[in-house]
Amino acid sequence: MTTVPFPHEHEFETQDLMINMGPQHPSTHGVFRMVLQVDGEVVRDVVPYIGYMHRGGEKLAETMDFRQGIGWMDRTEYLAQHNAELSYVMAVEALAELEVPERAQWIRMILCELNRLSSHFMFTGAFGTDAGIFGTAFVYSFREREVILDLFEEISGDRLMYAYFRPGGLAWDVPDNFARRVAEVLKSTRQGIKDMDGLLTENEIFRARTVDIGKISAADAIDWGCTGPVLRASGVPLDLRRTEPYLYYDQLDFDIITGTNGDVYDRFVVRVEEMRQSVRIIEQCMERLRPGPILPDRLPRMLRTPPGEVYLRTEAPRGEYGIYMVSRGGNRPHRLKIRSSCFANLQALRDMTIGSYVADAVVILGSLDIVLCEVDR
Amino acid sequence: MTQDDAAAQDAEALAATIWTQVDRALSGVSARPEPSVRDLIVHIPPDELVRGLRALKHDAALAFDYLRCLTCVDNEDDGMDVVYHLYSIAGRYNLTVKTQLPPDNLAVDSATGVWRAADWYEREAQEMFGVRFRGHPDPRNLLMPEEITDSFPLRKDHPLAEIEVLQGEGVAYSEEPA
Repeated sequence: MTTVPFPHEHEFETQDLMINMGPQHPSTHGVFRMVLQVDGEVVRDVVPYIGYMHRGGEKLAETMDFRQGIGWMDRTEYLAQHNAELSYVMAVEALAELEVPERAQWIRMILCELNRLSSHFMFTGAFGTDAGIFGTAFVYSFREREVILDLFEEISGDRLMYAYFRPGGLAWDVPDNFARRVAEVLKSTRQGIKDMDGLLTENEIFRARTVDIGKISAADAIDWGCTGPVLRASGVPLDLRRTEPYLYYDQLDFDIITGTNGDVYDRFVVRVEEMRQSVRIIEQCMERLRPGPILPDRLPRMLRTPPGEVYLRTEAPRGEYGIYMVSRGGNRPHRLKIRSSCFANLQALRDMTIGSYVADAVVILGSLDIVLCEVDR
Repeated sequence: MTQDDAAAQDAEALAATIWTQVDRALSGVSARPEPSVRDLIVHIPPDELVRGLRALKHDAALAFDYLRCLTCVDNEDDGMDVVYHLYSIAGRYNLTVKTQLPPDNLAVDSATGVWRAADWYEREAQEMFGVRFRGHPDPRNLLMPEEITDSFPLRKDHPLAEIEVLQGEGVAYSEEPA
C-alpha cells in the first residue's frame, strides 16, 4: 500500500475534501459513481454507488421461458456473452437432465475461450487508456477484438448479442469454414498478445503506474468474494475450469495463472497470460472437434423442467458467473438469480483504494475490469 | 455402469461425507440435509443461522471461507427462503445453506460479521425482497434510489408493466399451449 509522505499531516489542521466521480465519467467503464474523500492527494475513503443500470433483469427472466431467457443473459454480461449464456443453458440442462452432444460441447468451449480473448482485449485496451497510455493500446486491442467479433458474427449473425447457445446444444452448426477462420483469428490473436506485452507489460512507464498499487491480500480477496483474475492475482489458484471442471476442460492441458503481489500490475499480467492459455485451449479443442449432431435427438418444442434448484457456475473472463435457478416445474424459472462476478469484485474496491493517490483510483478501478450491466443486472 | 452413473454415485458419496462433517461442525444447531441436483442443501432455522454459518466457516476440516452467493427466494404465502452458497477453497466442498422465514417475520441476523462479501448481497436482498438483515452495518438501498423503501420489485406479487403491442391489429402476447 502507498505510504503517506505528507509531513504537514500533523503540523497544521487540514480538511478532507469530497470529490464526486461519475456517473458520467469516461474512466468508470459505464455508469458508475464513486465519492472520494481525499486529504490532499491521498484517498481516505471511497463510497461506490451502483444501480444506474438496474433493469430488474432477474424478474424479467422469471417471466420468460427457458429459450427466451438466453437473450437476456447477453444483455447482462455484454463483453462475455457466450460465457454468460453458458451458465444459463447449463443450469437449464442440469434441471431438465438434458444430454448435450459432444460436438456442441466442443464448439461451446471454443466460443467461450474466444470470448475470453475478446473480453480481455477489451480490458487491455481500456486499461492502457486508464493508465495514461492514451490511444495506442486501445487501437491495437480493438483491432484484435474486432477480428474475433467478426467470427462471432459469421457464426451467430450478430456482433454482440449472440443468443447462440440453446439448452441441449447450439442454435445451428458453425459454418463450413470454421476451422480455417479460427486458425486465422488465432494467428492475429497471438500477434495481438505480443503487441500488448510490448506496449504495456514491459513498458517502464506502465509499470511505474501499476506495480504495488491497489494491493489486496489473498485472505481479504476471498473474504470479499472476489473471483477470477482479481483473486488469482493475489495468489489463489481458484479457477472453476480446474477446480470444478465443466464441459471437457478436464481433458485439456492448460495452466492456471496466478500472481504473487495482488497489485494492479499482477491483475493485468494474469489476464494477458490467461489469453495465451485460452489460445492453447482453443488449439486443443480444434484438434478434438468432430462432425456430429449439435442438438439432442429428442428435444421437446416447449422445454419444461421438473421442480428443483441448481446453482450453476462457470469461469467467465471476470470470474465466477453463477446462475441460481429454482424451478417449480413448468416452462420458466420460479426464481433466477444472477451471481455477477463484478458485483463481488467491486465490493473490494474500497479496501484496495484507501491510502492510494487520487490518480491511482482510476487505475485501480480499471484493473477490476467491471461491466456495469453485469453488476446491476 | 456408465460414466454418468459412476459420477452420480460419487456425488452422492461426496454429499454424504460433507453432511457427516457439517453435522459434526453444527453440533448444537438444528440442521436438516436435503439432496439437490448439484450441491447438498442444509436447512437451518433463522434464529440459529449465523451461529451455524460461523461454525461452518471456522470449522478446521470444512473451512467454508468463500461466500459464493446470497439471495432470497419468494415462496409467496410460505414466506421467504434466504439462500447462502458456500465454498471451501482448501477442501473444494460446496454447500448450500437455506433458512425459511415466516411471512409475518421477514428478518434474519446479518452474515456480514462472518464474510464481508455478504454486505452488498444483503443490501440487495433487503431492497428487492424486503427481508431485514439485523445488524447490517450499512442497510441503505444499493441498486434502487434511496427514497424507495416500501416497494420490493423482485417479490412475486410486485406487478410487471404490461407488454405493449406496437404493431398489428389485435396482436397480443400469448402463451404457447400447454
